[in-house]
Amino acid sequence: MRNNYKENYARFFMESKGGKRGQVTIFIIVAIAIVGLIAATVFFFPQIKNFIAPEAFSPNSYLRSCIEPELKPNVENLAKHGGYLDPEGFIIYEGEKVKYLCFSSEYYQTCVVQEPLIKDNFEAQLVKIIQPKLDQCITNLKSEYERRGFSVSLAKAESKLQIAPGKISVAYTAPLTVTKDETVQTFEKFEVGIPSEMYELLFIAQSIVDYEATYGDSETTLYMQYYPNLKIDKRKLDDGSTIYLLSNAVTKESFTFASRSLAWPPGYGLE
Amino acid sequence: MIKKVNDKIMIKISVLTLMLFALFILIININYASAQANTVCCEKTDSNLYCQNVPSSECAAGAKQAPTSCKTASFCKPGTCYSSTEGTCTDNTPQIVCNNAQGIWTEKSPPQCSLGCCVLGDQAAFVSLVRCKRLAGFLGLQTNYRKDIKNEVACVLSVQNQEKGACVFEFEFEKSCKFTTRSECEGPSANATGGVKGEFFNGKLCSAEELGTTCGPTTKTVCLPGKDEVYFVDSCGNTANIYDSSKVNDKEYWANIKDKSEACSPNSANANSKSCGNCNYLQGSICRKTEAGDTKATYGDNICSDLNCKNTDNGKSYKHGESWCVYSDQGEKDKSNNAVGSRFFKHICVNGEEVLEQCADFRTEECVENTLTVTGGSFSQAACRVNRWQDCLTQIAKDDCENTDKRDCIWKAGISLQRGVSGGNASGTTATGEEAPIQEEIGTCVPKNTPGLKFWEGNEVKGICAQGNAACIVSFEKGLFGGEKCKGNCTCLDDSWIKQREEICVSLGDCGPKVNWLGQKGYKAGFKTKVEEIKKDESTSSSGTGGGGGFGGLFGG
Repeated sequence: MRNNYKENYARFFMESKGGKRGQVTIFIIVAIAIVGLIAATVFFFPQIKNFIAPEAFSPNSYLRSCIEPELKPNVENLAKHGGYLDPEGFIIYEGEKVKYLCFSSEYYQTCVVQEPLIKDNFEAQLVKIIQPKLDQCITNLKSEYERRGFSVSLAKAESKLQIAPGKISVAYTAPLTVTKDETVQTFEKFEVGIPSEMYELLFIAQSIVDYEATYGDSETTLYMQYYPNLKIDKRKLDDGSTIYLLSNAVTKESFTFASRSLAWPPGYGLE
Repeated sequence: MIKKVNDKIMIKISVLTLMLFALFILIININYASAQANTVCCEKTDSNLYCQNVPSSECAAGAKQAPTSCKTASFCKPGTCYSSTEGTCTDNTPQIVCNNAQGIWTEKSPPQCSLGCCVLGDQAAFVSLVRCKRLAGFLGLQTNYRKDIKNEVACVLSVQNQEKGACVFEFEFEKSCKFTTRSECEGPSANATGGVKGEFFNGKLCSAEELGTTCGPTTKTVCLPGKDEVYFVDSCGNTANIYDSSKVNDKEYWANIKDKSEACSPNSANANSKSCGNCNYLQGSICRKTEAGDTKATYGDNICSDLNCKNTDNGKSYKHGESWCVYSDQGEKDKSNNAVGSRFFKHICVNGEEVLEQCADFRTEECVENTLTVTGGSFSQAACRVNRWQDCLTQIAKDDCENTDKRDCIWKAGISLQRGVSGGNASGTTATGEEAPIQEEIGTCVPKNTPGLKFWEGNEVKGICAQGNAACIVSFEKGLFGGEKCKGNCTCLDDSWIKQREEICVSLGDCGPKVNWLGQKGYKAGFKTKVEEIKKDESTSSSGTGGGGGFGGLFGG
């Protein structure tokens, strides 16, 4: 019995010596697990939060995240080409087609306006580009609701894009009714947009085109004095064409177009 | 007697030269006119450009065309294109272009395009009625359109003297306030207060303690559209006075409207000032949001941003909006000796950045500048304008040549365009070697800034540069015992004559021995000289100077 006690004591002693090492290991493992858990929580917080307490689904937010990323690059792309996706009647400048918004093939003549409603055209071109994406976003929205167990009724949609002072917005008029159990939600209109000073740039471009068509050349310094955030790069090419790069010094947005007005030939220009 | 004969010959030769030059221009003009006659007004070209006068072959398939100018062709007649949505009107627009853009085209400006004064709160725009409605809609204001104001200046002035102050009104059982104009506060629509008529306190700020509203002072600031300065904002979001860090806790400053002249440092631009937001656009500062790395204001996120340009390309500093001319290429400007490929540049100081604007290539434009004296210094302004060199060579009088109202030419005194054909020369000796007084009218009118030419193509350039060709007949007298003595035009044997001809040649354009804009010489000399003996009777008939035999010195490009 005594011997047994001794053996047990020795075993205990031995175990507790090795046990200390084991304890440290366990502590390290637990610590790593805790750190990992915290890291995972931080990293996957929105998903975890959604899993624990599902957030109310917002169709507006959904559409915003779907459409907004499409708007900015397409606006930039159109603006690079004078408001056209694939311009006709253009000049190649630094590898890009730049639309002539005013043009005269002759020397000594003021130009003929080629695009009188620059802002309206920009809107029309932008709608043409983003309409498929817009339709896809609405379809995805419907699917998302259905995936969440809602029954969805979606009437024929009508979209309207507007370039306004300080913003570009897309209003989507699509009466949408979602039903789940006894909950019925109806949405009449969705509106998403991005802040943009493109409106001002387009109207300045319009004014420059007017100026070129009437007087043959524009005085950019006046525009820049009148619009504090405006920068105009006017580049005259050897064929008499002028490239205008209008940009906003604060937002860094820009709009590029070409014009050929009151061109003077080298020499007497008689050939 | 001989001098008189020589003078007459000189005049005849000058007239003959001008007639030849005029004939040259006429022939080219006839060719040009016949080339023009082949163009048609084309509704759409094969480059997809509308209403252009181009050769028939350049018209797009199926496009209308008429053998007339587009200004008179019915389908391309310019008119006004009206946008019914935006209320804008664009002139000089052909009907087809307007229709394609969904606009409304009229030959004459329609009544919808007539302008009036659109009052937008404390701002105004001189626009059409539809445009006014559109702008008011964007700003959430009622349309206030005044047709009785007939010009833009009167329109702007009409809103500048509006009374502004605190508009106090009840909102959700609390005394709220809106900083606005009297008409917006008490007017029939009471825009500012959402339809509720308020009580207007002229000259007061919403944060004034005596008004007892929910609005109070803050340390926030804001930049306002159309205003230069940084403004304080009260707790209701209303604009207060110009930002001044020393007045954050000043009750009086938060109670009454202070004029710009009563605010901090009113005569300074206050650029990058941490404590004062009294920016001045004309002096080169404007309210901007501070970015990372910018100087931060003591309070708020906005500061008077510095728009002026320091240490520009030419080492000088300029104010925002100033422009100046730069001609940094090789060659000389205004001395009729510009380098090939050189051009004028207009530099502009914008938002603290030096922007370059080229004047048209081939020196078809030159840069002109002037400096205005303004309060607190000077203001430089430059512009690119057409180089009027075209009729320089046809001017025979110095005064006509240097008439800057009509042309950009300089007079090269003592050098004749065709000098040397006759017996006279620049130094004023006659063919017989007699000294002749320098005649003031002898000289050549040449472009002040020589035109750039496409010398690598076409024949026009040859014609222009050929104006510099010259022949100088030097007469010799045989000695009694052999040998010969130079009698007339002896200076043509010197290098100076060739130099003089070079000078004329380079003055005509990109002709002769020029360097390019980088200062590099061409691969060829740019001219040729030839010396040959001519018979006595030939020399007599061509120059009429008599004398012995002669050598013809020929100079040509």
